[in-house]
Amino acid sequence: MEGGSARLLALPPSVVADRSADAVADACDYFDPDGVWVLATERAPRAHATVRSVTDEGTPVVHTPLGRGAAVRYDRLPDDEGSVEVGSVHDPALLPDVGERRRDGDLGERGSAEPETDRTTFVACPVEVAVDETRLSATLPAADELAALAANVPGDVVVLSALLPADYDHAWSLDAPDGGEVTVRLHGLGATEGYGSRDVACLTLSPSGAVGTERVGTDRFGLRALEGVGPRTAERLRDAGIRSRAALRRTPLRELADVRGVGRETAERAHEHAEVLATGEPLRLTTAPLPGGPASRPPLCLDIETDGLSPTIIWQVGVYDPATDEHRAFTERERPDEPGRVIERFLTWLLGSHPDRDLLTWNGHRFDYRHLTSFVERYCPSYAAAWGEYRTHDLYDWAVRRDNALLPGRTNKLDHVARRLEHTGSDTGLDGAATAAAYERFVRTGEPLDWARHEAYCEDDCRALWHVYGALRDADRRDGSAADARNVDSEQAGLGDF
Amino acid sequence: MAGDHSETGEADRHDGQVSATSDGDALPLTGHELVETFPRAALTEHTTVRGLAPREARTVPVDEVLRPALAAEYPYDPFVHQARALDALERGENVCVATSTSSGKTDVYALQIARDVLDARAAGESSTAYVVYPTKALARDQQRELAALYDRLGLDIEVAVYDGDTETGEPRRRIRETADVIISNFMGVNTYLHDHDRWSRFFGACDLVVVDESHTHTGVQGMHVAWIIRRLKRVLDYYGSDPSFVCTSATVGNPREHSEALLGEPVTVVDEDGSPRGRRDLVLWNPPPTDRRESDEGAGTGEADTGEDGGTFERQPASVEAPRLLSHLTAHDVRTLMFVPSRKLAELSVGRAREHRREHPRVYGGRGPSSLEPYHAGQGKRKRHATERSLKSGALDGVAATSALELGINVGEIDATLLMGYPGQRQSFWQRVGRAGRDAADALSVLVADYATLDQYVVDNPEYLLETDVEDAVVDTANDRVFAQHLLCAADEVAVDGTDAGPVGFADRNRLERAVEMWRRAGRLTGHLETGVSYTGPPRPQTDVNLYATDDEQYQVRVTEGTPEAQAPDLEPLSQARAFRDYHEGAVRVHDDRQYEVVEIEHGGQQPSVRLQPVDVDYYTRTRSEVTVLDATSEATREVNGFTFHFGTGTVLVHHAEYDRVRISDNERLGVGIPTELPPLTMETQLCWVAVPEPVERSLVERYADYRVPDLPEASQSPHLGYVGGLHAAEHGMIGAAPLELMLDPGDLGGLSTLVLDGHLAPSERAGASADGASDDATDGRLVDGTGGPGERADGPGSVEAVRTALERRQREGDLERSASGWFVYDGVEGGLGFSRAVYEEFEALALRTRERIAACTCGRPEGCPACVMDENCGNDNQPLHREAAVDVLDHLLGDADGPAPTEEGGSERRPPLFYS
Repeated sequence: MEGGSARLLALPPSVVADRSADAVADACDYFDPDGVWVLATERAPRAHATVRSVTDEGTPVVHTPLGRGAAVRYDRLPDDEGSVEVGSVHDPALLPDVGERRRDGDLGERGSAEPETDRTTFVACPVEVAVDETRLSATLPAADELAALAANVPGDVVVLSALLPADYDHAWSLDAPDGGEVTVRLHGLGATEGYGSRDVACLTLSPSGAVGTERVGTDRFGLRALEGVGPRTAERLRDAGIRSRAALRRTPLRELADVRGVGRETAERAHEHAEVLATGEPLRLTTAPLPGGPASRPPLCLDIETDGLSPTIIWQVGVYDPATDEHRAFTERERPDEPGRVIERFLTWLLGSHPDRDLLTWNGHRFDYRHLTSFVERYCPSYAAAWGEYRTHDLYDWAVRRDNALLPGRTNKLDHVARRLEHTGSDTGLDGAATAAAYERFVRTGEPLDWARHEAYCEDDCRALWHVYGALRDADRRDGSAADARNVDSEQAGLGDF
Repeated sequence: MAGDHSETGEADRHDGQVSATSDGDALPLTGHELVETFPRAALTEHTTVRGLAPREARTVPVDEVLRPALAAEYPYDPFVHQARALDALERGENVCVATSTSSGKTDVYALQIARDVLDARAAGESSTAYVVYPTKALARDQQRELAALYDRLGLDIEVAVYDGDTETGEPRRRIRETADVIISNFMGVNTYLHDHDRWSRFFGACDLVVVDESHTHTGVQGMHVAWIIRRLKRVLDYYGSDPSFVCTSATVGNPREHSEALLGEPVTVVDEDGSPRGRRDLVLWNPPPTDRRESDEGAGTGEADTGEDGGTFERQPASVEAPRLLSHLTAHDVRTLMFVPSRKLAELSVGRAREHRREHPRVYGGRGPSSLEPYHAGQGKRKRHATERSLKSGALDGVAATSALELGINVGEIDATLLMGYPGQRQSFWQRVGRAGRDAADALSVLVADYATLDQYVVDNPEYLLETDVEDAVVDTANDRVFAQHLLCAADEVAVDGTDAGPVGFADRNRLERAVEMWRRAGRLTGHLETGVSYTGPPRPQTDVNLYATDDEQYQVRVTEGTPEAQAPDLEPLSQARAFRDYHEGAVRVHDDRQYEVVEIEHGGQQPSVRLQPVDVDYYTRTRSEVTVLDATSEATREVNGFTFHFGTGTVLVHHAEYDRVRISDNERLGVGIPTELPPLTMETQLCWVAVPEPVERSLVERYADYRVPDLPEASQSPHLGYVGGLHAAEHGMIGAAPLELMLDPGDLGGLSTLVLDGHLAPSERAGASADGASDDATDGRLVDGTGGPGERADGPGSVEAVRTALERRQREGDLERSASGWFVYDGVEGGLGFSRAVYEEFEALALRTRERIAACTCGRPEGCPACVMDENCGNDNQPLHREAAVDVLDHLLGDADGPAPTEEGGSERRPPLFYS
């Protein structure tokens, strides 16, 4: 991430309303934001107060409907020495006013006579996109106000809307008041209806206008973050005076299991998970061997990059070999219209160099293997049979879906888990969607990417996978046997060789 | 259908012996004998008996059709239609087989699958087929039928059912990875496309896709199916497959057009039916008039009642008359299958039939009671299977069944079918009738008519049923809402790119670009058509597809807490338009003869819903609705006899503002104008309209100038009311008659008749807007800029009342003087579903049916009756209506009228801005 950026945490009011202050504190603690925006188009004073009560004195907590009249709120993030400035209004009708005041230097950093044009102005405002499927049109009801804002603000404008999901990012060309065209970038702040389980989003805003988004499910904070603890169990625990994970950890298991409606099994699992989250140490719940474990050599760690979730090309296959600590990237840099080339190069190498290795991925059963198999069958059918013989493993599936381990990440996304396990990668600033979008742009425009950066991103994931694998290999087991007491294990014997 | 195959199965079929056996299968009772022997008080019912000649089987020697390996094992000579369809498939064409019930359609695709599999295996490859039924219900029966055929042919072809009932996990995986034929339904196909990679083996080898009972895919559901098929084709293409399609269809009016619209590809139609048929007597039975009124002139003539006390002419309901016939037929050892419209009537009918037997001891004296059973989906599976078995074995004499018995279930030899009421369409009429006397056996079929528009039309015009022509099946892919939704699914399945654009692609380029841009802006799609567009919204957009609706606003139907499970009605979610019209708070609805009151309607939120409570009340409710059309824009137009027809789009504003409570026993109003508290609804939809030429209007206004609407204060009367009552009646009559030509639910159509068409058109469409150089009319300017028209609005069209007020102002200002009069017919579904386009295309045929129906109605009342021009959904309480004026208007439209008597221009009063839905 570039220097001088700021972290803005967006909390949907339902999250604040439904959850204990402890969950909100947990979210603030996890994201460590420079400012918290409570997203509600109507006044939600209690939600505001809850957030206020768990944040530091200096951290702005913004809830625009509580402002008086036509107030435009202005915050610098981080507080005082901040380099990112965020204006906030509760009504799009106020946007032209924000624009004029920015132009006149009447809003924001006082004393700077010249408004800085190389800084992006961020404005939080509930702007909606009106979709009319019958007419096949999507429009901005507040287009005029947005155009007036953009026409006056020196530099670029990014409007952050609580009415759009946090991964929403679209540059709108609008008719400027004086006849020309202006561009307004609209970015989502929060999960809206219809987007399934709600997320809490934390946006990283850079003065240059870059916006990074991290989303974590609303149920990953406070007691709800614990496996087996749903909204009702959380409520029962709170009623019994157990209001946080720390409190739960302190409560003896017997006492926990006595809470009405909380069974022994739930209590045990919650207790273990609280421990895992607090210590950052994963816990193996079963005696099942690690996937791909009992082999003479460790599995190859695999990750693919595509141009979208319905890929037309797998343009990068990254393979990390833990046995030699070497990484290889197969990347299509020239002929994106020939998806078979990368696949063929990868398979030729794999079959030639590693005919007998197992493969390991994170969630590969749902993504990597799925698409690889489909591409192999389509573009390299002659390799299909050989490819089909590889033993493919999915560490995510093994740990999470098959309940073999508890992981210490806030979510079970690979980067969350690996980060919590102190894996340090090269900070490429990319994520899956960004690298896919970049390649899509390359295909369209022919403008080459910073290939090294994108290959580094993929390599990071492969290495992170092995890091997590190692942590699980060394992890304690529920039965109390410590990791080092277990080296008679067949899997350990096999892995001991490398 | 499942029955098809069993029909042609070895047990039932007697090729080449048709004429020899038909005498032996002679009926115990002919149509004429039925009419003669039925006990009656007086000869009051009206009956028509038609004898349909038998038809010989026409076949082609099996070795001319099939390769030796198959021909040797297949025990029959195929019918000509089977042979032609197989030939076309051999040539790689898509085929629609549109022939009668039980004509062996299943064998067409079953044999084609066998050929494909043999070819593939000879080359060391495999071949698969996807067979899609309209519902889950018959999949397993069909699986058994296909498996049995392949057994007989000595072929090892694995046929599996894969649908919501298939166990998840390993069983599903095994089917995907090994089955040669997978049977499913379109909801399933829609859902499973998401995980197409798991189906790569199956899709990669797919040589045939079967759309069984394809005629059932019409209207909203048909649109969805058309898009699901297009998505399936993309995925098949992705795996390198280019299969042929087989549609099997009942006989419909437009098999080519319909199947091509479904598939988006050229189709070869095979509709020359080579299957045999025995002699069939068809009896149309119009029950006697009721003598509810203490009649003075005798109800016996069946003549119309024109009483002034509001009493209306009615006939004995089919639900009373048909069980008597069931009793009579079974007493004569005629094994009878009676179709009834509801579960309750199935139960009631058996009792009524027995009662009839008891009431006529002299007629039936010597005969013991018949063995009768009801049959409906409300019964347990075991009970139904027991009834099926006894029917097949001959232990039962008669069954009163709902449509649960309609499709596919093998009931063995049936002598007669008895229909309680006309099922609404010729296609389903023949399908039900076809259950008796299958193959070459003789059969008797009786339709007992209800006193309703279509029933009365049918009994008055028996030729209608016998015409070779049947209704058109309407399916349309023009609804952009539905298209846009399936585009999200398509992008989720395989990235959408430029190859999807074009006439044979997913959609034409412009439409695709607009939709992609919309979804990109909305954050649901990402990427560009040049390189591929992916889906980015919440997972599995396929789960949002509802085959029965065009928009996402679906109202779930719930019951109040504590309602016994057995009393919960089995209802699909409702569209918003439907919920507002029929399920407002206080509405009383009847399902399966059980009353429910709507106690709550919940809008917005994640899950809008209506809540029903079972009640027992002596009234029903009737919703009063105000409707108007705004901003209609013409996309196609044509002229007939001076009338101009238009098809286009527009905004329909509907306000279901009030309702009445009406006592069931005597139609007395117990409560009038109770507010529903619902806001008006607007709908962007497809519509068509007709403009009446000015001279016709003038002469008819003059002719009916003296007409007075009953019970209307003198101040509200107007010399235009007779004429506009004619338009209104023609509009109602046309919507009521639409099912005679098109396969649609008239509940999906709405109408509006108006003296001032201009007031409902977009400014550019108005008569005055066309520059008329000769005119120096000062109002022209106002018309051109259109200021103040109801179409010009800043924030939504507001209320129907506001539109009315605006029209009145424009009328005072002389703005509407040059407007034509006429009526609209619109699709009552957001985005439209192609019905009004079909009405536009079939306007003359429909007008002819409507005219016949209105002119022939025996009610004889100037205002008509529910069997001709009254419509229970009329928002204006069926006023004004004028039958004779309607007939005149339609005569002019059809070119059958004498020229309008020329009158002096300008003689008539300024036209009032009246409009009626």
